[in-house]
Parts: sequence; C-alpha cells; structure tokens
Amino acid sequence: MSARAPGATLVSPIERGSRRSRIGIWIVIGLGLVWTLVPLLWMLLSSFKNTTDVTSATPQLLFTPTLDNYVGLFTGANNLTPYIVHSVLAAGISAILSVVIGAPAGYGLARTRMRGKHHLSFWIISTRMAPIAAIVLPLFLMFRGLGLIDTLAGLILAYMTFNLPFAIWLMSAFFAELPLALEESARVEGCTRWQAFWHVVLPLTKSGLVTTFVLCLVFAWNDYAFALVFSGPNSQTLPIAANQLVTQAGIDWGQLTAIGTFVVVPMMLAGLAVRRWLVTGLTLGAVTGE
Amino acid sequence: MSTLTEKPVAEQTGTPAPVPRKRRFGFEAKMLAPGILLLAALSIVPFLTMIVMSLSQVRLLGGLELDFAGATNWIRLFTDPDLAWNWVRTGVFFALTLGLEMLLGLTFALCMWRLLRGRNLVLSLFLLPMFVAPAIVGLLGRFLTDSTFGLYAWVLRGLGYGGDILGGPVSAFVAVVLMDVWEWTPLIALITLAGLSSVPLAVREAAAIDGATGWQSLRHIVLPSISNVLLVALLIRSMDAIRYFDIIWVTTNGGPADATKIVPVRLYETAFRFFDLGYAAAIGLVMLAVSIALARGFVRLLDKKGTTR
Repeated sequence: MSARAPGATLVSPIERGSRRSRIGIWIVIGLGLVWTLVPLLWMLLSSFKNTTDVTSATPQLLFTPTLDNYVGLFTGANNLTPYIVHSVLAAGISAILSVVIGAPAGYGLARTRMRGKHHLSFWIISTRMAPIAAIVLPLFLMFRGLGLIDTLAGLILAYMTFNLPFAIWLMSAFFAELPLALEESARVEGCTRWQAFWHVVLPLTKSGLVTTFVLCLVFAWNDYAFALVFSGPNSQTLPIAANQLVTQAGIDWGQLTAIGTFVVVPMMLAGLAVRRWLVTGLTLGAVTGE
Repeated sequence: MSTLTEKPVAEQTGTPAPVPRKRRFGFEAKMLAPGILLLAALSIVPFLTMIVMSLSQVRLLGGLELDFAGATNWIRLFTDPDLAWNWVRTGVFFALTLGLEMLLGLTFALCMWRLLRGRNLVLSLFLLPMFVAPAIVGLLGRFLTDSTFGLYAWVLRGLGYGGDILGGPVSAFVAVVLMDVWEWTPLIALITLAGLSSVPLAVREAAAIDGATGWQSLRHIVLPSISNVLLVALLIRSMDAIRYFDIIWVTTNGGPADATKIVPVRLYETAFRFFDLGYAAAIGLVMLAVSIALARGFVRLLDKKGTTR
C-alpha cells in the first residue's frame, strides 16, 4: 500500500494559486467544518448541561457545566454498565475473530490461482454488500431455532456476516501488495509456507491487520439493526441503550447526548489512529491512496 | 463452492516451488477454508432459507411453522402499489444523497488538496462524522431539529421557517437525506483526495506552462484522471445507500405519512412489526438482486483497473 500521506505532496508554484483563490478555499473549508463539527460540538456541550439548559428554547452557549448526565447514566434506573460490557464484548470479539479467520483467508485469496477465483471473490464481496435488512430476516429464523436470540454469541455471529467478508477482502488487498519474492526467499531458507506466512508475511502487514481490526470494530460497535432484532436484556448494546431513552416517557436529551458522546468518541479515536490506511480500507483496496 | 474443495490448486507458473507438492489441497485452499466455510454457513444457508420463506406463509406463534404458499408472496410483490412507491422513494433518496455527497465531497477534496498548511488537521476534523454510529446520527438529528429547543430548528426559525421539521413529509425527507450526507460526505472527500494526490504534478505543470487556466486544468486534466477513483467512491457509497436503514428507523420510522419509507424500512417493518415474514423475504430477495448488481459494477471496475485478486 502506498504510505505517502495526502499532506506530504511536493509544493510547486502552481499549487499556491492566487491570494484570492486561497481566501476562497479557506471560506469553503470553513463552511465545511462548521457543517461537519457543529452537531458534534453541540452534542458534547449539551452532555454537560443540566436539563433546563438542554431544553431551553434559545440555545445556551454560556452555562455552568455539570457531570450530572454522565453520573445519571450509571446511577439511574437504567444502568449503562451492562450495555457497555455487551458492546465491548460483541464488537471486540467479532473484530478479533474477523481478523483471525479473515487474514489467512485473505492471504489464500490473494495468492491462489485456482479456477473460479473471480467467482469466489465476487461471492465474498456480495455477501458484504447484501442489505442488512434482508440478512436479518433469515438469520432471525435460524437463530430462533438455534436458541441464539438474546445471546452475545448470536450477536457476534450476526456481526460476522458483514465483518468476515470485509476482513477477507481487505486483508487480501493488503497481501496482494506484498511482493511474492519475500515469501519465496523465506522458503528457500527452509521455511514451510505457514512459517513464511507467520514470520515474514504477517509482520509486514501489521498496518493491514490493525486497520482491518479497527474498521471491523467500528462497524460492529455502531450496528443498530442487528442488535435491534437479535438482542434482549442479556445482550443489548450501546446504540440500543441510546434509543431506549427515547421510548421511555419523555426524552432525557441530556443523558442522550452523554450516551452519544460515550458511543462516538472511542470510535473516532480508533478511526483517526488508522487514518493513513482508511482509504485502502474503506474502498476495500480499490483505491490505494497513491 | 465445490470447485474450492475438489480441485487441486494449480501450481504457480514461472516460479517452480522448491519441493513439488503432491497434496490434494494446496496451501492457499487450506488458508481459505475456515473463512469460506464460516461465510458459507452465514450466507448460503440464510439465502436458501430466504427463498423457502418467500414461497411460504411463515407462522411464529407457537413454534415456527412454514406453510407452502406457492407464488402468493411474489404475486403480491408485483402488484403492491405501496411497494412500488417505496422503490420510487428509495430511488429519489439514492439519487439525492449520492448526488449531494459526490458534489460536496469533490468540492471539499479539491479545497483540501490546495491547502498547503493544516491539511492533515482539517482532514481529520472533517472525517469525524464517519465514525458516528448511524443510530446516534439519527438521535442527534432529532435533537437538533426538535421544534422547541433544537439548534437547527432555532436557526431555521430565524430564517423564517417555523414548521416541525421531522413532522412534514418533504422536510422530513430532506432532513434524513441531509443526515446521511452529513455522515458520508467525508468518505467521498477522503477517497477523492487520495485520487487527487496521485495526479502527477508534471502533467499539471505542463498544462500550466501551455497556458491552461485553473478551470481548464481541472476540467481536462484533473477530473479525467480521477474519474476512476470517483466511480469507486460512487459505487462504495451506493452499496451502502441501498442498505440505509438505521437513521430513518430512529428518526421518522418511515413517516410522516410514509414520506421516508424506503425499501429497507418497509422490509423491516413488514418482518418485525407485522411479522409477515414470507412477504418480507420476497422483498429482501429483490433488494439482494439490486445490491448484487451494484456489487457487479464495483468488481467490474476493479477488473478494468487490473487490481482484482
């Protein structure tokens, strides 16, 4: 994969442009940032407001910050702790499994010369692109039969339907970038193919493994549709907890923005940590950034 | 899938392996097997289940029961005017979100591309919405458009629009479109920016020396050379847009008056609110066909670029 960050391009005189066009560019970027950031900042601010400030008819910019909303999440009738545990376990285990099963499979896909490879890779990608609403339906019947409704195992398995094909395809994009010669020289040195994979290939795709893990984590953590159908009191996740605040009598927007912040911030940090490989990841290797 | 397990993997041409392998299953096939088997269990079985379901009357009360119903669900599918409207709405939603996302994404990418300082910071800030759970985007949207204390509702009142945003059919539709645009424009910008960074500087310099204006250079050099990347971005987003569900479910639930009821919402409601699972399966199979057609486009594009593995 190409390592050059988008910011590292060479500067030439034609890049500079006129003063006027530079001001214009900053105006567009400023507007873009306002559009992008205002909802997030408003969520963050509101999570530190008391109820009267949150539901004030005129937006309150000056207020006395309070941690009540966050405290309320853990002391109220609906304690958030089990939801956090469910989210961490379901998203984390599904992301780990996706990488552990997906990386070897991605390697196999990248290196195999078997006939019908095209059909195989198309089938893999088509399972990833299948509409969630359509997948939920037969899984619901299957899970009911297997007793997997309202279990973390069921939720993890459900997340694998989108994370596994994603991991296979993405890892194969990372493996395809590695020159074959590296493995061959390892084999000449006497490595078995597995040893060559384990000791030579995998360490070289660390960034790919981390990116795959993080993106799978984000997809599973953010899921709402699957959790809505498959989870119950023993397996509900954070997005469900957030939406439950809505269906109770009235909406506690202060707590809701606090949950929102809680759900969103870890994924933003994780996502930004792999930003360099995001393009490769989110286009499944179709665009490598160079 | 039978080809995978029955045919030995062909020896690689050109680079003879040090030890000739006589095993029936190649190393690659062994590496692939666990993933493929799990994926098959998670996709082929549900797929077959769905076909059976679409031909049945599914009962859930008192244990699961499938009564063969022939083509009833399918006949209903093709004669259901509501469903036709759901598809029309899906089409409009699809065109509006993708159009806006492509336009805004390209604009921001071009601007960020010209930034000499602070590009990484701007890009990072700009990417943040992508990591927000869609359910939270929906809830945040409800918060911001609430008619009594919503920030955006307040701004719109100042501009002379006082209606309940999620309560009116048109404004609700526009609102859910904009929520999706808010979340996913950054992805288009990110992909486009990566494409722009790969346009060779020399070509643009040559054009500048030949007297091309900024606009001409953009129109005739930059845009053509990133057209493939833009197409990838478009396809990636369209495959997600066709599955779009969470935000609408959380904000409007398909309403008001079905104004935001696109096909995935209709499918969900048919299945899990009315428990008409057989009919829902038929709707789902059609959606599946549409999304597979889109995936075909994506893979074909990869093929053309010679990057399919």
